[in-house]
Amino acid sequence: MNQKHLQHLYSRAGFGLSYNDYSKLNKEPKSKIISGLFSNAEKWIPLLVDVSELKALSASKKMNAKNSMTKMSAKDKRDLTKKSQQKIKELNYAWIKRLEQTNAILNEKMTLFWTNTFVCKDNNILHIMQYNNTLRKHALGNFRDFVKAIAREPSMSKYLNNKQNVKKNPNENFARELMELFTLGIDNYTENDIKEAARAFTGWSFNENGGYKLRKKQHDYGIKTFLGKTGDFNGDAIIDIILEQENCARFICRKLYSYFVNPKINEERINELTSIFFKNYDIKALMLHVFSSDWFYAEEHIGVKIKSPIELLVGIQKIVPVTFQKEKQLLFLQKMMGQTLLNPPNVAGWKGDKNWIDSNTLLFRLKLPSLLLNNAVINLEEKGEFEDRFETYYKKEKKKKQYLKVTKSWIDFDKEYGTLSVNELKVLLIVSKIDKDTEQLLSHLALTNNRDFLIQLMSIPEYQLC
Amino acid sequence: MKRRDFLKQSTLASSLFFVPSFVKAFEDVTKETLGFKKLVIIQLSGGNDGLNTVVPYRNDIYYRNRPEISIAKNDIIKVTDDLGLNINLRPLKNLLDKGYLSIINNVGYPNPIRSHFRSTDIWQTASHSNQYLNTGWLGRYIDSYGKKPHSGIEIDDSLSLILKGENINGIATKNPAILNRNVQTPFFKKILEKQTPEHLSEHNLGYLYKTMIEASSSAKYIYETSKTFKTKLEYPNNPFGKQLKTTAEFINSNIESKVYYVSMGGYDTHANQKNKQSKLLDIYSKSIAVFVNDLEQNNTFKDTLIVTFSEFGRRLKQNAAKGTDHGAANNVFIIGKNLNKPGFYNEAPNLLDLDNNNDIKYSIDFRSIYATVLEKWLKVNDETILNSSFKKLDFI
Repeated sequence: MNQKHLQHLYSRAGFGLSYNDYSKLNKEPKSKIISGLFSNAEKWIPLLVDVSELKALSASKKMNAKNSMTKMSAKDKRDLTKKSQQKIKELNYAWIKRLEQTNAILNEKMTLFWTNTFVCKDNNILHIMQYNNTLRKHALGNFRDFVKAIAREPSMSKYLNNKQNVKKNPNENFARELMELFTLGIDNYTENDIKEAARAFTGWSFNENGGYKLRKKQHDYGIKTFLGKTGDFNGDAIIDIILEQENCARFICRKLYSYFVNPKINEERINELTSIFFKNYDIKALMLHVFSSDWFYAEEHIGVKIKSPIELLVGIQKIVPVTFQKEKQLLFLQKMMGQTLLNPPNVAGWKGDKNWIDSNTLLFRLKLPSLLLNNAVINLEEKGEFEDRFETYYKKEKKKKQYLKVTKSWIDFDKEYGTLSVNELKVLLIVSKIDKDTEQLLSHLALTNNRDFLIQLMSIPEYQLC
Repeated sequence: MKRRDFLKQSTLASSLFFVPSFVKAFEDVTKETLGFKKLVIIQLSGGNDGLNTVVPYRNDIYYRNRPEISIAKNDIIKVTDDLGLNINLRPLKNLLDKGYLSIINNVGYPNPIRSHFRSTDIWQTASHSNQYLNTGWLGRYIDSYGKKPHSGIEIDDSLSLILKGENINGIATKNPAILNRNVQTPFFKKILEKQTPEHLSEHNLGYLYKTMIEASSSAKYIYETSKTFKTKLEYPNNPFGKQLKTTAEFINSNIESKVYYVSMGGYDTHANQKNKQSKLLDIYSKSIAVFVNDLEQNNTFKDTLIVTFSEFGRRLKQNAAKGTDHGAANNVFIIGKNLNKPGFYNEAPNLLDLDNNNDIKYSIDFRSIYATVLEKWLKVNDETILNSSFKKLDFI
């Protein structure tokens, strides 16, 4: 496989190609490289943070409440939420570390994709961690099982109010987003379809351990008419009927194409992918087709996607591993660039591509390599949260000159990249075309070592693309 | 470049900025014929409790639902027979007496959402409650009028959805010197100086270069223009006062920016609300008073309209923690020199007719306020910006 194509594959199926990967793979045939990505993906493991302390605390507070025959006090609840939110931050850090280090990169990249399709958010670490791993589990599995699984997740049930969806008073929120954002896309169903689907999901709930539970008394067992069919449908039947629509396969293929191939849609390719996916909704088969096709490697697709903030951040860390001494600063970086994992803006998710970029985010993104690797000063502050008190909302004001407190593994970099020529490093780092003037500028820099050159390469606009 | 130089250059400010000739060409695109009118949008983030801000002090239902947090009759600045202002809004009462303040009650939208994030999105994008838009209403305004990042400024370090457009986004800064310093790093400059117009045709790469060029020219413009004016007044010494001071310096230096967005945090008062909100309203109204004064002294107040909103109001019934939970309709403050209807623009909230969450119902769609501001103040076509037609009001 030629180097450009290998880089392209690895920047879309993962977070870029390291030199070690390159040396290992460049003699291999395409089919072997691709099947390697998939077999590594199968070795995914769940992402977990230690929640034993939180569980114990929660149990003891419940016990106290039970003993005194009262409900848990508001303060106890707040304490638990606070602890839980702290754990969610830990999960965020662990996730980013995972992206940097995992061998199952394709599975993780797919998980990120699904995170932004089945968008969900929760304050409860136990539930959101379970949700996150459900995404991992089905990332390359069968789409039918996948949708049915997320419809049963406690976090989803809460996020889209299915918990409040009961026979007497149906709540349409989940049914609506299931169709509009998760499966069919707008205009492929009616308001009445939403109402009927909502009835089918009434009573879908969860038990204390995060498992699915049907609250039978709240479930509407009646006859529903949905997308032209009539029957005593439950939620699973609704999902099956949705998947009978070719539009469902098409909707997912479009999303997938713009994420993995090109934000500019090519309808012919969408038709091709739809016909494959519609057969049995096998996600792995679809992705295998994408990566194996010749058109995936066409010039027009290489280096034309704007990296998401996470792709940018992880990409840099894969070249020079960085350890954060103040993990909070990792959240700061995500916030300033507009993508904090586990904290999507709304159920529609991040818009991606050009929407990542405005004057402020671009300036920040261009400075990111200097912040991470060159002790550049942080002179900007993150926004406060809605829930913050006035003083906290603006608290970042007070801190004066700040740097990222990170340990950089330059030694690892030197080992892997130290002996490469300037040109080799450039070709390896930048997949997009390089602007002629910038190219000229690069060639005229007086270079002393590869570390400096690396930072400079990462600071040109082209590095923002993958 | 030596490592030490690069370090120095990527972290330190430096001297003059050379503008490549084609960047100039970019900047000289025929200036839109825009009026002098400025619009300042202030969000009280977190959901301000409107009922303890504009108090229905003769309404028993109000007192019955808030045994611990209601504002006593003698702690109120009476305005009409039904409504009064929170005692901490004395400076606003002065504005009201001068005819500079109009309060619109019961502003909201159908099927209100009680999540901060979502409801803020709705207010910022002017969407329906079940619609997700990528662009903010002020962003769409600069998309059509102004067309430069600095046409719309957020007084913060990162940009909110309200100022994101389809083709052009506003720019955020609370310190123009720092913003400018961030585009003045030598490596960044070098890349820009080298540029010839060729790359601009390339799809996303062209977009990145274009954004870089616009960002640096807007940063430079904002910095160099705004530094020509330094305010002589003393603003309250807190971050919100500072945000308004910066806004006044922009407006009074005659910068061509038209729309400004400021977010003031702290209003999510679920517990022990009374003291917290008192303090917030005190900070808000004192800062606003200086701001208006500053504009008046520089003869720019007549051309500035200040609109204050919050993503939702709060529930009539207090909660067990002496606070209030997320609600629905709320009041909006309009501050300006030539208002049609100073004082209360419309009826007080009807506490007998609540929605099924026991929250205040809306009678005025917030997008009617936007439509009115766009058409009557900024003098542009409101329907193209709001993608829909909303009834105009006559507060201006």
